[in-house]
This record gives sequence, C-alpha cells and structure tokens, in this order.
Amino acid sequence: MSAILSIRKLVVNFETPRGLLSAVRDVSLEIEQGSSVGIVGESGSGKTVMSRAAMGLLSGSTVRREGTVMFDDKELTAMRADEVRDQFGTGMAMIFQDPMTALNPVRRIGSQLSEGPRVRLGMDKKAARARSIELLSLVRIPDPEAMLNKFPFQLSGGMRQRVMIAIALACKPKLLFADEPTTALDVTVQAQILQLLSDLRREMNMSMVLVTHDLGVVANHTDFVAVMYAGEIVEQAPTTELFSNMKMPYTEALLKSIPKIDSASGARMAVIEGRLPDPTDRPSGCGFAARCSYVQDKCRTEHPPLVDAGNGHLYRCWYPLGHTIGRK
Amino acid sequence: MAGSGTAHMRNNDEVVLEVRDLVVEFKIGRGLVVNAVSKVSFDVCRGETLAIVGESGCGKTTLGKAVLQLPPPKSGDVVFEGTNLTKLPKEQLRSARTAMQMVFQDPISSLDPRMTVRALVEEPLWIWERGTEEERGAKVRELLNNVGLDPDLVLNRRSYEFSGGQCQRISIARSLALEPRMLICDEPVSALDVSIQAQILNLLQDMKDRYGLTMIFISHDLAVVKAVSNRIMVMYLGKVCEVGSPDAIYSKPAHHYTSALINSVPIPDPTRKRGAVPLQGEPPSPVAPPSGCRFRTRCPAATELCAAEEPQLREVNPGQYVACHHPRT
Amino acid sequence: MRNLFAQMNLLSKLSAVWMALMTALAVFGWLIPLPDPREYDPEASAAGLFSPGHLLGTDAGGYDLLSNVVNGARTSLLIAFISVGFGGLVGSAVGIIAAYRRGRLDYVVSTGFNILLSIPNLVLGLALVAVLATSSDPSVPIASNRRVIIIIIALTVVIIPILGRIARGATLTWINREFVVAARSMGMRDKDIIVRHIVPNVLPAIYSVLFLAVGVVIVAEGALSLLGVGVVDGVSWGAMIARVAGEFTYAPQSMYVPVVVVALTVIACNQLGDFLRGRLDLREGRI
Repeated sequence: MSAILSIRKLVVNFETPRGLLSAVRDVSLEIEQGSSVGIVGESGSGKTVMSRAAMGLLSGSTVRREGTVMFDDKELTAMRADEVRDQFGTGMAMIFQDPMTALNPVRRIGSQLSEGPRVRLGMDKKAARARSIELLSLVRIPDPEAMLNKFPFQLSGGMRQRVMIAIALACKPKLLFADEPTTALDVTVQAQILQLLSDLRREMNMSMVLVTHDLGVVANHTDFVAVMYAGEIVEQAPTTELFSNMKMPYTEALLKSIPKIDSASGARMAVIEGRLPDPTDRPSGCGFAARCSYVQDKCRTEHPPLVDAGNGHLYRCWYPLGHTIGRK
Repeated sequence: MAGSGTAHMRNNDEVVLEVRDLVVEFKIGRGLVVNAVSKVSFDVCRGETLAIVGESGCGKTTLGKAVLQLPPPKSGDVVFEGTNLTKLPKEQLRSARTAMQMVFQDPISSLDPRMTVRALVEEPLWIWERGTEEERGAKVRELLNNVGLDPDLVLNRRSYEFSGGQCQRISIARSLALEPRMLICDEPVSALDVSIQAQILNLLQDMKDRYGLTMIFISHDLAVVKAVSNRIMVMYLGKVCEVGSPDAIYSKPAHHYTSALINSVPIPDPTRKRGAVPLQGEPPSPVAPPSGCRFRTRCPAATELCAAEEPQLREVNPGQYVACHHPRT
Repeated sequence: MRNLFAQMNLLSKLSAVWMALMTALAVFGWLIPLPDPREYDPEASAAGLFSPGHLLGTDAGGYDLLSNVVNGARTSLLIAFISVGFGGLVGSAVGIIAAYRRGRLDYVVSTGFNILLSIPNLVLGLALVAVLATSSDPSVPIASNRRVIIIIIALTVVIIPILGRIARGATLTWINREFVVAARSMGMRDKDIIVRHIVPNVLPAIYSVLFLAVGVVIVAEGALSLLGVGVVDGVSWGAMIARVAGEFTYAPQSMYVPVVVVALTVIACNQLGDFLRGRLDLREGRI
C-alpha cells in the first residue's frame, strides 16, 4: 500500500504578541491508502492545527510552517493557495465538530449539497439533484427528497452531521478529515455516525483521519492511532498494538481518565493532574514530565526522542511502560 | 417507554425533593405544543445523587430547570423540603431557590464575559447581601481554593481567559457560594475533553462530601454518571423509562432503551468489537409523540399493546422500576 | 480613554480629532473673535476663501462663513447630541425591556419600531415638524429657539426606533445565555439582571450605532433646513446650506464650506462608530 498523505517533519509556529507559539513540533506521519487514522489529544495538544496544516489550510502572516506534506504524490506544501483549493472536494474533504456553523443557515440542504457536484464535477442541475438524493441515501437519511427542501435549523444535530458527511462525500474524495465529528452529539447518535463513517470508508475505498480527544472513539473505528501532546506525536501504533502494548504513560493516563461503563460505582476516577505546558515556553525535557506519575530526573531535563518498538510502534518516553529499569 | 406512574416514589423521611406529575410544555406557534416533560414523577433523598439520563430532546434539561421553576411547569408539584415551590409567591420563590443551585452545560456561556472571576463568584452573595465586603472576599477565596483554583492567579481575570474545565470550576464555585443544599448539574462535563471530565466529576464528588449536598446529575452519557450516582432515572421523549440503582441498571437493564444507551458507549478496547449499532434513527418529534409507549417506534420488542396502552412504572426487581410492557429479562 | 485612542488607526484618530475640534467649537466657539454670524458685511458679498477679515469667505448676502460654521456647530451639534442621546436612551430602554419581557409588550414595541422604521427618516422628521410647528396664528412665525426644540423632538423620534431595534436585537442574543438563567436561579431580581448582565453586554452594540446616528441626525438637520422647516432663520449648518442653496453658481464656496463640514463630521462619526464596532467584535471573538 502506498501513502495517500505523508507528513514529514512538519513544524507550525504562530507569531503572537507573547512570542513564538509552537503549535506543532516536528511531526511525521504516513496515512496509508484506504486506512483510517485516529489523531488523539487534549484541547491545545496541536491536533487540530496539525490536521489543518496537513490539509494546507493554514495561511496568514502570523503562521510559520516548515516541513513537507505530500498528498496523493503531489507536494501540498509547494502549491499555491488556489492549487491547494483544487484538491478539496475531489482529493480531500472534511467534516467538523459543529455541523450547525459549518452549514449555511439560510440555504436549503439541496442547494448546499448540489454545489460540489455542479462546480467541481460540472454536473447540470438535474444530474446534481439526482446525485444529491443518492448522497443523502448513502448517509442513510430517510426520505432524501424531502430533505432537499429543508433548512439546517430544521434538522437535529445527528441529521446535520449526516448532511455534512454527504456534502463532504459529494465529489468522492480520496481522504476525509473528520475533526471531532461526534463531540457535539449524543452517545446514541455518536455510535451511529461513527459506524456510518466506517461503513462509507469501506464502501468508497476512502482514507480517513479522525481527530478526537476521546481514545474510546478511535478504538473501534481506526486502524492506526497517533497520540499528540504539546505539539508532538508522543506515541503512534496500529490500533490493536497501541491498546495491547501501550508504551507512553500519557496514553495510559488518557485511557484511564475515560469514564467507563464497567467502572465501580462511586469510585474516584483517575485523572491527569495539571495542564499542558505553555506553548510559548516549552519545557526542555519531556512535555509530560510535570504531570507524569512515573517521572524521573532525566525526564525533566532531556527531551526524549521517538523510539521504534517495532510493528510500526513509535513512542517518545525515556522510561516506557513495561520497563522496570531506572524506574523508582 | 414512556411511562407515567409513581410506583418508584419513596415516601420516607429522607426525601428532600419530591416531584409529582410534572408537565412542561412550550408553545411554538400555529397552535403547536412541544411536550417537553409529560407527567414525570421522581424523588431524591438527602445526600443522594440522582442521575437523569437520556438523549437530546428527552426533556431532562427542561425537567432540571422546571424543578427551579425556570420556567414554572404547566402542572404538577415540586416539593422541596416540605415547601411546594409551584405554589409559592414570586418573592418567596426567589429566596427558596437559593437552597438549590444549578451548574450548566456550557461553562463559557454560563459566565458573563464582562465580569471578573471575583465578581462572578461573589455575585450570589451580592444579590442576597450576605456578609460585609471583606467577608464576601474571604468567602470567594475559600470557594476558589476549594474548587482547585488559585485565587491570587484568577481573581481579576475574566472568563474568556480560561479553558472550559477552569470555567466549569468557576461555575461550581459560584453555585456553592450560597451554601445550597441541592445542586442540579446539567451536563456539566459534556462540553469538556475526556481528560478534563474526570477532574470535574471528582471535584463534584468532593464538593458533595464537603458541603453535604444532594445532587441531580443530568447527562446523556451513562458512562459518565456511573461513577457519581446513587440512583439513575432514564428518560425518553418527556417520559420516564426506568429507575433504579446504578448496579441494577448497568448489569440488567430492564428497558430496551436503557440497554441501547449502555451499548452506545464507546469501549476503549479494539479487541471488543461490537455488533450492530444499538439504536437507529432519532427520537420522534415531541410535538406529536407516538401513542402508548413513546419508545415503541424504535423499540425492537414493540407490539400492538405498546401502541394502544401506555406502560406504567412497575417494580421488576427490588428497587428497579421499569415502564415497559415487555421488559428485558 | 488614552488607551482607546492609542488603538485607533490613522483614519479613526483623525476622526476623533475632528469630532473633538467640532465639539470644542460648539462649546467655546463664541469666545473666538469672529464677525457676528447674523451680521452681513456690505463690503464683501460672495468673497472667496482667505479674503481679508473672512477666512472662509462670505456668501452672497455677505455673511461670514467661518463665523457661521463655528457658531452653527453649537446648534447643529446640540441638536445632534441631544436627540441622539435622548433617543438612544429611550430607544435602548424600551428595546431592552421589551426584549426581556417578551410577550405582548414586545409585540407592541417591535411593531411600533417597524412602523416608524418603514417611514424614511426625512419624511418622518418632516411630518413631525409639520405637526409640532403649527402655530395658532399663521402670520406669527415660530421663534428660532422653539424651532430648535421642535427639531430635537422630531429627530429624537426618528432615532428611538433605530436604537430601539438594535438594543432589542442585542438583548435577545444575551437573554438566552446561560449566565442570565444562572443569575435568575441565584435569585437575582429582573431589575438587577437587566442592569448588571444585559445592559453592559448590550451597550457596546449601542455605542457604535450612536455615532452612526449622530451622522444621520446631522444630515437630517441639513435636509430639513433645505426643505424649509429647519432652523431657517437661525445659525446652524443646515441653515447655512438652506440659505445659500440658490447661490451655487456665483458663490460656490458658500455651498462648499458647510457641505464639506457636514460631510467630514458625518464621515468622522461613521469611522468612530466602525472603530467601536470593530473593538466589540474583537471582544466577542475572544469569548
């Protein structure tokens, strides 16, 4: 398999009045054709900035970007803004956390849905309408013809997210970015949407990047997971390998903090104390040192490199889980 | 589900809040009415945490606000510590409300962006003219300390300078200022990162112990309420489905809807592959709810009886009540 | 205040300086040794710019234009500030209360605003002046002072629905915020909720529109004068324009001077309004 998206040594800094804010630090990641990759991290971990940069969406005078992003064997980072824009729709597409703000409130679903097929695929009105109905059926919306005439505010959150997915899929993209697609939804609807995305990905042979703060969401719906912390990937592995052979204390802490249905009632929940380090003043050692329950002196002073554990499993820790050497 | 009934009510001395046959409706024009809460009854005992669980639109938030008479319900009784709030004149209601406070879902929207943290947390004390200015200042510092914020760092900053989790801490500090006996938490962690949710849940537990609170905890996520609740009430489309202890509800849910909610929670373990999505579609409109059992349109076990007759809450196991004609066994 | 000025771009700074200058002229202008704006100079009719004794020249009747601009600022800005201030106050109060109470009051108020807004400003002003300024004896002209008051009232009525609707709309976006529900659940009285939570959040939206409204009123005052119902025989920018309206061909500077002053003032008002709105958006963006 070849990589549909390959990110190499991506660095993103923002110039701010308080100094240079380092949002993404030296991230490299390959997304295989047809695979589903989860990018997991807390708010402020850099996961959203990283995915935006990977899509070529970050621009502006305060952005400082280094590294290369190859999409479908074309170098996105070398393209002009309009060339990048040409990749959207047919090459890549995205869905967002809040479908209400991503949809235009004053336009009917039908007209928003047919825009892609008409502009990007050059369909006429009739063909675009047929395509819209087909897309709505694809995302399992009952009575798609009636849906064409509705406005976003007439729909529930789950229905809006389905419409967003339909719009994103309108031009058969090769890669779908889903940025917290279920965070604003009920658990029941979340389960439906995640299942829908997995099914569609298989049906359309599409690759997907699922950006989320919830390890529980990626467990069943991705092939590969990258955990981000303080602008870096701190652990990455195939999903089953990650969950069965966790190396990074941070990943373990994230997993433990998830409220679980089979936890003891009335028990205290495991938490990650403290907060992410200040992105304008990164610590010299491991970014997680101040919050890590296994921290050693070395962690505070020396920045850990990415270590290859085999099977595509990389981690960034001096004293990974499962090792006893050097641990107090 | 969708049942009414009062079989689950406990008429003992420990009950501090008793809600009977509460109905909340909203007119939405053209003669249409949203049946947000339809004849819901429940009670809460002193020191207990009751979790109210259900999807968006099931009426759980409206129910929580209706307890505080925000807005007053259309009919039904809300008896708090022996006083029927629905019958109180405006001024007495205003003062009765101080014994019950609310923590909201959106930690940022629930704090006035123009006010400093000091003013925000002090506000309830200011309204009720509690203490001198120094006493109020000291109280604010104490509250902020208790919710894990350093007063010296936060007092003079405004809410938009904080993360969601910190805003929720400020909100909790504010809700505790009047020393309420009951706290109604409306989805207090839904807007937060998973890693922050646990912190806030633990904080709420700590505050409950420290201040001897009785709590109502509203959430759409059964996994979140597992750790914090003593009793769970599952709602669907303005009606009660099931009431019981967390252990009973999770180990043998009697209502098909409860079981679907449990199976919707993502399990962070890729080896435990799950089968079909437990619940398809979305709840019907509360403007025209289905006849009989309101869950029957999505229920795998629905029969003609479910369309004809509304199920009443009844005891299926000791302490576990379900409103279903064909409960799971 | 100094802080605010420092944040302005050049255009906004110039606007602020211009408005400060005009306000200063309105208050202290009478201290400047200038010819009486009502006295004409028989020696200098339609004098050009920089004529001796008449810095900005005179109009065809020999009235000193600089003196009229300086002294006219008093009447024009008085009319603008009072009607906008009063109209803004009444409009905002009515708009906020209507939006807060909702129900029938809101229906009546917003219908009233919509009716008033559907009438063009000038037509509304004209109609109000016509109604208010009817003297019992048509042969006795209405005194200049009374005319000023009538125009202030008329323009106040024009301003009320403009500000009222802005205040109502802004209030509606804030009353559903959870912090208002939170305040209510803490037992706060409606009066306090409005004063402490609604008004401070609605004010920024109103500030920016107030400046725009000053511009509207200054133009309206000029237009009313041109139509013959303004401060016709008094000293105001509008009166200047009205008086020289027929002289454009042979004394163009007598038209340019008041028109440029009015235009610059209106532009300055709009610019300051935009600046304040920008600050407001910035603040909203951070929330």
